[in-house]
Amino acid sequence: MSARAPGAAAALLAAAATCVAAPPALTPKPQADYMLNCQGCHLPDGTGAAGKVPSLRTSLAPLLQSEAGRRYLVQVPGAAQSALSDAELAQVLNWMVRTLSARPPPQFREFTPQEVMRYRATPLVAVRAARVRLLGTAP
Amino acid sequence: MRNPVDHLMERWARDMARRVSRRRFLGGLGALLFGAATVPLLPVARGETPRPAAGGAADPGDPQTCEYWRHCAIDGFLCSCCGGSVQSCPPGTEASAVTWVGTCHNPGDGHDYIVSYNDCCGKTECGRCLCNRNEDDKPLYMPFKSNDYNWCVGSKVGIAYHCSTARIVGVAK
Amino acid sequence: MKRALAGALLALGLARAALAQLPLEPGGVAQLPAQPGVHWVWVNDFSFFALPDGKAFLVDGDSGRMLGLLSTGYSFDALVVPHSGGVIYSPETYFSRGTRGTRTDVVTIYDTVHLAPLGEVKIPPKRASIMAMMAGQVLTDDERFLLIYNYTPAQSVTVVDTRARKFVGEIDTAGCALVYPTGPRSFFSLCGDGSLLVVTLNDQGRAASRTRTKELFDGLRDPLTEKGVRAGDTWLFASFEGTMHPLKITRGGGIEAQDTWPLFSAPELAQHWRTGGLQHLALHAATGRLYAIVHRGGAETHKDPGADVWVWDLASHRKVQQISARNKVASIQVTQDARPLLFGCSFESNRLDVYDVASGHYLRSVEGLGITPGLLVTP
Repeated sequence: MSARAPGAAAALLAAAATCVAAPPALTPKPQADYMLNCQGCHLPDGTGAAGKVPSLRTSLAPLLQSEAGRRYLVQVPGAAQSALSDAELAQVLNWMVRTLSARPPPQFREFTPQEVMRYRATPLVAVRAARVRLLGTAP
Repeated sequence: MRNPVDHLMERWARDMARRVSRRRFLGGLGALLFGAATVPLLPVARGETPRPAAGGAADPGDPQTCEYWRHCAIDGFLCSCCGGSVQSCPPGTEASAVTWVGTCHNPGDGHDYIVSYNDCCGKTECGRCLCNRNEDDKPLYMPFKSNDYNWCVGSKVGIAYHCSTARIVGVAK
Repeated sequence: MKRALAGALLALGLARAALAQLPLEPGGVAQLPAQPGVHWVWVNDFSFFALPDGKAFLVDGDSGRMLGLLSTGYSFDALVVPHSGGVIYSPETYFSRGTRGTRTDVVTIYDTVHLAPLGEVKIPPKRASIMAMMAGQVLTDDERFLLIYNYTPAQSVTVVDTRARKFVGEIDTAGCALVYPTGPRSFFSLCGDGSLLVVTLNDQGRAASRTRTKELFDGLRDPLTEKGVRAGDTWLFASFEGTMHPLKITRGGGIEAQDTWPLFSAPELAQHWRTGGLQHLALHAATGRLYAIVHRGGAETHKDPGADVWVWDLASHRKVQQISARNKVASIQVTQDARPLLFGCSFESNRLDVYDVASGHYLRSVEGLGITPGLLVTP
């Protein structure tokens, strides 16, 4: 057995240990929450499905320009009725604006849990009509 | 003399009944019929290149059985048995991008993975390896947690449901 | 010799003719009586292994005979059978090439005597393709309007005027699912935040008002199943953990939650008894009895079939009977007459089982009813 063999063997063992033991990287919580509550319909990149599911890429920024739009983003059933707490929903919305918007707004006032709680207290019934009023079109 | 069509129909119906019955039986049947053969991976719609499923200790179990850990809330036919795999659709079907996303515990590494149950659409049902498990499934009024919707509704090709995948898209815990 | 043979043959032929008793038959097509039998049931096959081939079997529970069939297209839920009789409404989906091509949704109107289409009403190609639910398609109380739940995944309700046989319009019900009639011009849907959406219609079938109630149930901790049944002016829903939620219809078509009550005693809960199945509740109105499919299992088994049907008295909330089912069932239905039958079927087989309600005794089975028989509808 050559002098190099034990060293090589040790290196191999170390390499093997690294391969087996590396744990998976946890998905960051806002993204994981988005996946479980929103991604199914709005898709991983937020594009949705034309005519059926609104695109978050194009609709988030315009909606942020008004109080009514911000309220809509919280009250829309997919958000308000998700399994998220007010704090979690605020974080997901902020993550969505930053990550999914085609053109993230330069000055974005983040949603706070208090703001979310306030809007969430009143369910929005005429959802389609509200969207048409705010964005001019149905999804 | 029995009508041969009746005889065939009755046998078919009984075969169907056997296949639809309890998970445990199905699991056993799956092992009998399919062994541990791996299914060749097929390209996913939209040109994504699938990475091969890990297999081995970190991803234990047979994807062609109902007991496979990723199937904790699946409802439908396993694409692994239909010419696809846990992450890819069989030839000629379209992966419905719209779906529902759940979480399943992987006993192999102790982590909870986020699993996207994308359906493959555009053909009649595969009809093989039916599996319905309802861990943390919720009723139809919570669509994002319901496996009772035909999720081919979001596909361009329409609601013709063929089979379901169980694709890892994230790690929850 | 030849003549003798011929004579013998002729005699034989004449003798055979004399022996033949059966008359020649002109053929024909059966038809049903105008009034349905009290022990009839429609077995709706959602055909999960062959979704394009939805169908419904009409079965006579007394004789065990199949009386007829309706062929009802892709992702079929259930027939809607008005009490007024004469017709049956069937929301159906078809593709121009079977499983692809142009999708067309219609409500086919069948006559009950000939089981043949009288006509159809085209509706938006949006009807929800879901596990079969009674609440996917219902009539308003006066049977004037047919309401159909849509899911694209946007949620809405299609309204069809059955008198004019026309599509009236679509009502936006975003955030809420399914349809539960509460009056001649009102219904509610179940919403994801545990509230109800109450909708009233005008005389043309268009939405006159839409209001959300406060939260009436906790969808995350102990959800209501969607599989409610109606006892007069009260809708009854079982939660996953077996708590009954009575929802009383108020004047004007509103809704009010009444006190919940548990189906199971503490020892029974400790043994993990729960309801399960596809259509797990049934009612016998005259005696005020609630029937439920039960089994022992964890929370994730809330859709599993069961081998027992337990019976509660609605007035006292007491369990009054336990019926041991010969075969596991996922759907049950009860006839409304004075000697009711209990029907049961499971998507794990294609057999309908029939029981006598009073004694709980198994009577008979009817085999070969499609691929995955789901919902049971008595005409």
